[in-house]
Amino acid sequence: MENPIVKLRGYKDGLHLIINPKVSLNEVEAAIHELLDGMNQPLAGTSINIDMRPSPLSSEDLKNLETYLTENYDLVVSGVNVFDEKDESPILAAPATHSISQSLTNDNQPDFEQSQIVRQTIRSGQTTSCLSGSVVIYGDVNPGGEVVAAGDIIVLGALRGNAHAGVHGRLSSVIIAMELVPLQLQIGSYMNRPPVGQKPRGYPEIARVGAEDIIIVEEFIKF
Amino acid sequence: MGKVIVITSGKGGVGKTTSTANLGTALAMIERTVVIIDADVGLRNLDVVMGLESRVVYTSMDVIEKRCDLDKALVKDRRVEDLMLLAASQRNRKDDIKPEQMQEICEKLKQEYDFVLIDSPAGIEQGFHNAAAGADEAIIVTTPDVSAIRDADRIIGLLQHQGINSINLVLNRLSPTLVKNGNMMGKNEVLDILNIDLLGVVPEDTGVIASTNRGVPLVHSEGSPGAEAYMRIARRMTGQRIPIPEMQEENFFANLLNWFSRNK
Ligand SMILES: Nc1ncnc2c1ncn2[C@@H]1O[C@H](COP(=O)(O)OP(=O)(O)O)[C@@H](O)[C@H]1O
Ligand SMILES: [Mg+2]
Repeated sequence: MENPIVKLRGYKDGLHLIINPKVSLNEVEAAIHELLDGMNQPLAGTSINIDMRPSPLSSEDLKNLETYLTENYDLVVSGVNVFDEKDESPILAAPATHSISQSLTNDNQPDFEQSQIVRQTIRSGQTTSCLSGSVVIYGDVNPGGEVVAAGDIIVLGALRGNAHAGVHGRLSSVIIAMELVPLQLQIGSYMNRPPVGQKPRGYPEIARVGAEDIIIVEEFIKF
Repeated sequence: MGKVIVITSGKGGVGKTTSTANLGTALAMIERTVVIIDADVGLRNLDVVMGLESRVVYTSMDVIEKRCDLDKALVKDRRVEDLMLLAASQRNRKDDIKPEQMQEICEKLKQEYDFVLIDSPAGIEQGFHNAAAGADEAIIVTTPDVSAIRDADRIIGLLQHQGINSINLVLNRLSPTLVKNGNMMGKNEVLDILNIDLLGVVPEDTGVIASTNRGVPLVHSEGSPGAEAYMRIARRMTGQRIPIPEMQEENFFANLLNWFSRNK
């Protein structure tokens, strides 16, 4: 499902195109073509960042890539970020299991997980909050509905409204939903507003704070 | 003992009054005894849609303030047997009535009638609470647009909070062509969000406007798509199992029209 060469991610500061370092310009362009043409919403006019590790792409290659994105997709490249091996890009660096296993084994907060299970859909105008731990929702969170938790937020349905995990500042908190199409996500003080009208992707997703202090959203595979 | 059902939506103009008038009439046509109550105090129009405006002498306000008996305030329909209207006062405001007073009226009426349908005002304030106070069940009316659905969702939450758990959906003004072109949300998309049982789908039907203006509920115009839809919904309300037709039925109609226009 994931394109192995390029990934598109929405972060707090906008769209990022993340490029696998071990490929040539041609492969990158072909992969971009496949990724962007397969999308159900046009990105024209959007500004985009390019993230990558030190790569075989020469600065000339990069210029060509910018031209390619501008000419073919009407995208505005607002920055090129090259991460070196140590200071890794959040997506490339953090394994999907990272922050969750951390929070599960984090027992220096003994009664932190006074968690809550909610067996209903959170509808417009309703708020569910669990200020002592995490919350699991057996239902949806609809637009106009809100879930707030000191810990994680797990929605066993569609998250279409607002979710604020780690309200007291625990940045290792995560938000997981079977369908993650929220209006707003917040973890601690970081916020992520996905593009309007985003369609469900058909697989569960996880949102968490990455190394760059931005909320990363990606496919949720396992704990 | 009968059932008290509030017909509500949150948003205005989505078809609450139209649905109350048509479902009330349809239920009476299939031989149920029915009272329809206009709870839109100050902006009453159920009497107009029913064509009973000139017959209204007393309103629910007169009953509450003991100027007349409940029975005397009920206006008999002109066309069908066993269909009564309790009109709303035009002079009063929504907070002139208290939930307990509406409850009392509903309690009395459901001893005698099979169905008591309450036409709720828009909004989530006092008027809505009064309308829902005496209800056992609710019918949510929504059109397939984002803001109406958002309001419907809000209302469902409020009703559940009040302990009303039987909440069914009437999806109004669905236009199969618009859905097919991807310009309108479809039935399943709406149900996906609201997550309640679907009682029926009423198509966009220009007959509704004409019937509203004439003061004759659409269900009297046998054969019109809207009338058929309301008749099916009424039958489902009496417990009959009537499948909800998929849109092909309406598509068939559209296709037929297409065919005609192509062969002109
Ligand atoms: N299925 C329909 N097709 C076409 N017009 C409709 C339909 N349902 C309602 N309308 C029109 O929409 C308007 C608002 O309907 P109404 O029942 O008064 O809404 P509400 O009581 O929710 O404010 C009226 O003019 C009515 O004729
Ligand atoms: Mg009305």
